[in-house]
Amino acid sequence: MSTNESVENIQEQIVALLPRLRRFARNLVRNPHDADDVVQIAVERALLRLDQWRSDARLDSWLFKILRNAWIDEVRARGRRAKIFMPEEAGEQVGEALMEREIDRLSTEAALARLPEDQRLAVGLVLVEGLSYKDAADVLEVPIGTLTSRLARGREALQGMLRLPQGDPS
Amino acid sequence: MISDETLMAYADGEADAESRSQVEAAMREDPKIAARVEQHRALHELMRGAGSSVLDEPVPERLIAAARGRTLNAGVVDLSRAKGGRAARNAAARWRGWQPAAMAASLLLGLGVGYLGWHGSGALIRTGSGGGLVAAAGLADTLSSQLSDDRSPARVATTGVSFRAKTGEYCRTFTLAGADASSGLACHEGNGWKIKVLVQSAPEGSGTNFRTAASELSPAIRAAIDGAIEGEPLDHAGEVAARQAGWAPPH
Repeated sequence: MSTNESVENIQEQIVALLPRLRRFARNLVRNPHDADDVVQIAVERALLRLDQWRSDARLDSWLFKILRNAWIDEVRARGRRAKIFMPEEAGEQVGEALMEREIDRLSTEAALARLPEDQRLAVGLVLVEGLSYKDAADVLEVPIGTLTSRLARGREALQGMLRLPQGDPS
Repeated sequence: MISDETLMAYADGEADAESRSQVEAAMREDPKIAARVEQHRALHELMRGAGSSVLDEPVPERLIAAARGRTLNAGVVDLSRAKGGRAARNAAARWRGWQPAAMAASLLLGLGVGYLGWHGSGALIRTGSGGGLVAAAGLADTLSSQLSDDRSPARVATTGVSFRAKTGEYCRTFTLAGADASSGLACHEGNGWKIKVLVQSAPEGSGTNFRTAASELSPAIRAAIDGAIEGEPLDHAGEVAARQAGWAPPH
């Protein structure tokens, strides 16, 4: 990141990736407002760490990784705050309920949302976002074998939920 | 026997040359294997569009601003430049000028665009001698005396969470209602409360409880807490003890 031009250029690439970051964030976080908050935190962090981005790496998977870590930190921080923090989160409950109804209408989203988190993220990164196994494993910080077995289990479950023919046609 | 994971990898275009030719040979011999590969492909295709309606939604301004190195939505006040008149400075140019060593501090100050429309909550927040903002009068008293679980209707401000910062001092979040609706993070330095981050709440109209919660949890404040906190927030007993010590850093 030696020149201002390159910083601005990357900023614009990040702007262009925002829709996909939001989609991935909603795969992590049900509540759309919370999901956008995590995107914002991730983007702010990414700008502070631009020097850590290797330009041979895909910008999208680098950002997905920051986003996932931001979410992990956020969950941790929430647990910490929840002990003593404000109880006034009724508004969020309404948001959750709305999401639930919407999800029921959309079969692929509904099925995806019901997967356990490990499988949901593997499916989200590879099938929805189109990352390679290697990049997806890197985002999730797991060995590639772990990624493929999560992906395989996730697909198996999806096929059942979407009432597609099962794994062993005979 | 070829494993299902191998078939999956083949369908996803992830198989290496050797396994590719094995799978293709097997598919020619066994229609069941060909059908299974086709299922994997079909599911991949189906899931490719999952959740894509969000791609067509307009991206919130605050995210675009954040990606460009600005935070403009809620009028986060950047306290390093809280003197009036310098608000319109180019935020991108500003962050480029940050030195790595200054980054943690900058995060604590909020990634603000400046002194956006802060119409001065008169008595409660004023500019200190160093140019930064400090809590005054009722807000200063509240921060010094009110515990975080105090929800008495007469309170001047709601105190949210108290913690020790890595730099040693005690910090507390607070929320003001009414005309001064805003949330912030203040740290006890010297004899007073220096305001580190101040976020103005959304304009009137939204439900008050929800707005309070939303602004208290605004990303700038959260980021500031997460960047500054040492260990866990204070519990009730911890707050009582800190208050008793006048919020002076313990040794």
